[in-house]
Amino acid sequence: MALPKPQKVLTLSESSYLVEVLKGMVLTMGHLIKNIFDQDRFRTIEYPDVRKPMTARYRGAHRLLLRPDGGLKCVACMCCPTVCPAKCINIVAGEAENDPAEKFPITFDIDMLRCIYCGFCVEACPKDAIRMDTKIYEINAYTRSDMVHSKAYMVNLMDGLKPEAGAAYRAEQGLAPDGYTNADSAPEGSPR
Amino acid sequence: MSEFWLDMLVVVLRCVFSVAFVMNIVPLMIWGERKGAAYIQDRPGPNRAPIDLPNPADLPRLLSAALRGEPLDYKPVVSLRAAGLIHTLTDVVKLAFKEDITPDHVEKFYWFIAPVIAMSIALCTFAVVPFGDSFLGYNLQVSSLDGGLLFVLAMTSLGVYGIMLAGWASNNKFSLLGGLRASAQMVSYELAMGLSAVVVFLSAGSVSLAEITRQQGEALSIFGLVEIPALNWNVFSPFGLLAFILFWVAVFAETNRTPFDLPEGEAELVGGYHTEYSSFRFALFFMAEYANMIVAAAVTATMFFGGYNVPLFSGAFLRENADMVLAVLGLGAIPAFLGLAVVAWKRRGRPFYAAIPSDDPRRNEPAFFTAVWLGAAAAHGGLGVAGLMGGLTGLSALVGVEGLGADLLVFVLHVSSLGVKVLIGGWIFIWVRWTLPRMRYDQLMNLGWRYMLPIALVNVFCAAGWIILRHELFA
Amino acid sequence: MPKVKINDVEIEVPAGTNMIEAAKLAGFDIPHYCYHPHLSIAGNCRMCMCEAETPRGPVLDIACNMQAREGLAIRTESDKVKAVRKSVMEFLLVNHPLDCPICDQSGECRLQDYYMDHGQYDSRGIEAKVGKHKRQDIGDLIVLDAERCVQCSRCVRFGDEVTGTGDLRLMNRGDHTEIGMFPGTRLEHDYQGNLADICPVGALTNKDFRFERRVWYLRETDSVCTGCSTSCNTKVCHQEGEVFRTLPRRNDDVNRSWMCDPGRQCNSGVGSLDRILRPTVDGVAVPDAFETLAARIKAAGAGRTGFVMGSGASLEANWALLQVVKANCPGAKVFSVAGNNAGAIAKSDGLLMDADKNPNSAGVALLAAWFGGIGGAEDLRAADLSLLVVLEDDIITRLGGNPAEAIAYFGTHNNPTAELASIVIPVAHVVEMDATYVNRQERVQRVRRATNPQGEAVPAYQALEKLGAALGRAPGTSMPTATFSAMARAVPRMNGLDYKALGASGRLLAPTVQPVAPAAPVAEAK
Repeated sequence: MALPKPQKVLTLSESSYLVEVLKGMVLTMGHLIKNIFDQDRFRTIEYPDVRKPMTARYRGAHRLLLRPDGGLKCVACMCCPTVCPAKCINIVAGEAENDPAEKFPITFDIDMLRCIYCGFCVEACPKDAIRMDTKIYEINAYTRSDMVHSKAYMVNLMDGLKPEAGAAYRAEQGLAPDGYTNADSAPEGSPR
Repeated sequence: MSEFWLDMLVVVLRCVFSVAFVMNIVPLMIWGERKGAAYIQDRPGPNRAPIDLPNPADLPRLLSAALRGEPLDYKPVVSLRAAGLIHTLTDVVKLAFKEDITPDHVEKFYWFIAPVIAMSIALCTFAVVPFGDSFLGYNLQVSSLDGGLLFVLAMTSLGVYGIMLAGWASNNKFSLLGGLRASAQMVSYELAMGLSAVVVFLSAGSVSLAEITRQQGEALSIFGLVEIPALNWNVFSPFGLLAFILFWVAVFAETNRTPFDLPEGEAELVGGYHTEYSSFRFALFFMAEYANMIVAAAVTATMFFGGYNVPLFSGAFLRENADMVLAVLGLGAIPAFLGLAVVAWKRRGRPFYAAIPSDDPRRNEPAFFTAVWLGAAAAHGGLGVAGLMGGLTGLSALVGVEGLGADLLVFVLHVSSLGVKVLIGGWIFIWVRWTLPRMRYDQLMNLGWRYMLPIALVNVFCAAGWIILRHELFA
Repeated sequence: MPKVKINDVEIEVPAGTNMIEAAKLAGFDIPHYCYHPHLSIAGNCRMCMCEAETPRGPVLDIACNMQAREGLAIRTESDKVKAVRKSVMEFLLVNHPLDCPICDQSGECRLQDYYMDHGQYDSRGIEAKVGKHKRQDIGDLIVLDAERCVQCSRCVRFGDEVTGTGDLRLMNRGDHTEIGMFPGTRLEHDYQGNLADICPVGALTNKDFRFERRVWYLRETDSVCTGCSTSCNTKVCHQEGEVFRTLPRRNDDVNRSWMCDPGRQCNSGVGSLDRILRPTVDGVAVPDAFETLAARIKAAGAGRTGFVMGSGASLEANWALLQVVKANCPGAKVFSVAGNNAGAIAKSDGLLMDADKNPNSAGVALLAAWFGGIGGAEDLRAADLSLLVVLEDDIITRLGGNPAEAIAYFGTHNNPTAELASIVIPVAHVVEMDATYVNRQERVQRVRRATNPQGEAVPAYQALEKLGAALGRAPGTSMPTATFSAMARAVPRMNGLDYKALGASGRLLAPTVQPVAPAAPVAEAK
């Protein structure tokens, strides 16, 4: 087997390795000593305790918004599943009998395993019914089926199943998010 | 009869001590490896696994709950992370409880004994390393073999069997390649290693490690002009230094450490010889690597750096001035521990503590460590005062054994001296690993056969000439 | 024929052609709402406004009411025309609720389409929109949303001119005008579905399809209605193997643009629970029933085996049946039984619905005449048969009893015959195969495969091919094109028909029996 030839003729000190090795070791030791005496040099974020501030436009987990009367804003127009490049949104539309909106999603599931967080669904929504402004990025579960976020989950995302996310959200925004109403205050019989 | 049992007890104690010495440094080394790597690479490294200490007031309740076999639920007061030291502990727990998988295709018998060989050989080698001059007349060495150094060389050769068997018995081409590399590497570097050791034989006139160490405790004479006490280390002779460098490089190859860790070259060999191992069998290989490093560092320290000898202070000197030494060391340690306490206390201001909730038990960690260091300072102060008041002489008189106190102090100092040398050696292993990239296999062989072997050969002859010359000139 | 000039393109069109159609022939699309080729000209949407050259100079007029005459020249894309269209669009949308997200029409809505080309985009509207009645239940098939209406009056004219019921009316004046029914009345006729089809916006939508699926997901496949012997041309709208609706397809010779409501249901059973999904022998599902059937036919003997042609089955399937009989059971009797299947309502009106609910009665008659010696219902009752092979037709209902000792049934759905049959073989539904049917006008029309067959069903002609193979001689009918070519060669009245050339609107059979062309002389080998 032909071995690759060295590109450059090494000087004696280089080819004896020793000097170069010692130079390298001085470099690494320099880093070590600097880091021992000044630990603020680390760029590491101690994640669960210290969190990176998310930008205002960060796309996190989806949430569904409610109308002021407590009904779901979504009217199942199918714009989001149409634009979704990952085909992760599954909506079954139904007729809302006593609602002027007429149409509502019987099921509204987002398969977060498929979602690529492109935000097209938010852009496409004519009703401002879906947003990705929760800044929730810890989207995880023990089963595949739990990774499918249901309508009930996404409506209550801020207060119901992820209270800590809701608290963090309001603390950061300084107010309740726009269009957000507590799930418990929704009147009886409104479509969910 | 009782003398026989006493001897037996001493033998057992020596064995236990030597194993404990190695096995206690292993977790420290693993921690040093991780934290050192992290700091060299500008990151904080392991710092999360905690031990949650309960409020002492809860202890009786928890104890009774534990006795009844009930779950222990308590609100921790201090969450002890100790800069990542706990991670080593959790690793042991993890490795011990992981599923132990035996693949169908392995050669069962050899596969089972390979990690045992690797680990036990590493521990056996330490048997001939002296860890103190004497304690009440007993040798501080498991086995005072006359051919101690030869035993070391023999054992390091055997050590590769564990890896070779693992590689072969795994019945897997990657593992087999790892095993082959290990054995080829061992054969190549053992020659340079043995020849470097010959220089030490020649200067000591003996292959007994106890004798070699004892000689290194004598005064270093520079051309008969100046004498430096207790510093006659082999590394301070011209050919000894070269022999040390060759020996140390060969040790890297023998212990399969970077830049010579080709047997487990994960980029090309998956996991190398331990690809098929999991759970505690893997842990044995893992620990054997560190045990090998510790033993190699201990042997190197013994051969070239005076072994257990405290530099500048001979054993006889320390024994004569035991109380004064204790006083100086004890009182001298106080500022060091106070400094550590200050550092620990100041860590409360780090951004991390600002980010965690106010009732997080990790918040109390700086205070806990401040207390620990203050306690250590107080304890050392106490020892210093005891030394000032002649406590060691008093102890000997109290027990009624001549020189017990002084021997105790010298034992501790010698073991510490060896321990510090081993840790420095171990740190160099780590430091080199996180500095140098892995060598290519042909480079490895080139270095071993075409450079190190000739240099080592020439060095032996030169060293022999030098020794004769020195005898003629200065004896 | 007069020559007209559209955007400087000269074209010759039949006299009396309106300019929307003429422009279409010339390759220009004039937007329109109220104009419909099969309804009278109302001229009230004003969307088809275009510029006509007159001696007085260019004049704006509606294209739908402009009839072709020699020398007429119009412009459809001039700046003036575009400005007018923009104004008309703005006017039509003044009171439109813009509830596209919940409107079933979106995706096929003329308002949406034309707004893209001629929209105002920057709304000038500051007044509140006039609210009208939404979600009105006006018939069994139709939901009316008066807010979305653009008052094109197509539905009104449909009621007046096609069904003659005159039930929908424009009411009130000005911007309060809305479409509605007389109080207390509902749509009663059988052509309600067409209202939803002709409505260019979302005012009239179909209840059956309400909120089922967005139209842009659906793929359309040309097909033919199998609800009766009229065989209206249809478009089958389906997504991922599921059929969602059946719409009429324009064929001026058959159904114009219309279709009856029962016909819209003719494909609703594609995925229904009573589909036959796997072959069964004596009630037990088996992987392959053809060997068993062949063995039973052989055991019964040609003399005691009967075959029934299917007036619900395709031309190819009936041909395959006859070929199987001809090749394998020369002595066996073949029957054809008129009548309707269980559940069919033999309703007939002057429009499209026919009392004969079989799509291929004429095709069966054609092949029967060609084959000769086909028995009718009385012959079948009288015959002493141990095994009767039935192709798709519900023979038990038609005869009112079981004529044979055992029945082997090739069918799509469970029915009295399938329940009685000892061997049942699933065949493909009409939307699941390529085939041809002959309607009561003796028009040969194609259906196309829209979805994959359910279960283990295959098209009937392929099933019969397998039966023929099991009996010994396969009829060679596995491909519809080859089968049709064979028929066109063999059956005199089909001579000259080409499967590919049937096109979208079909071809009529030759009216009389033509002499068979002499076979081409075989070239002698050198």
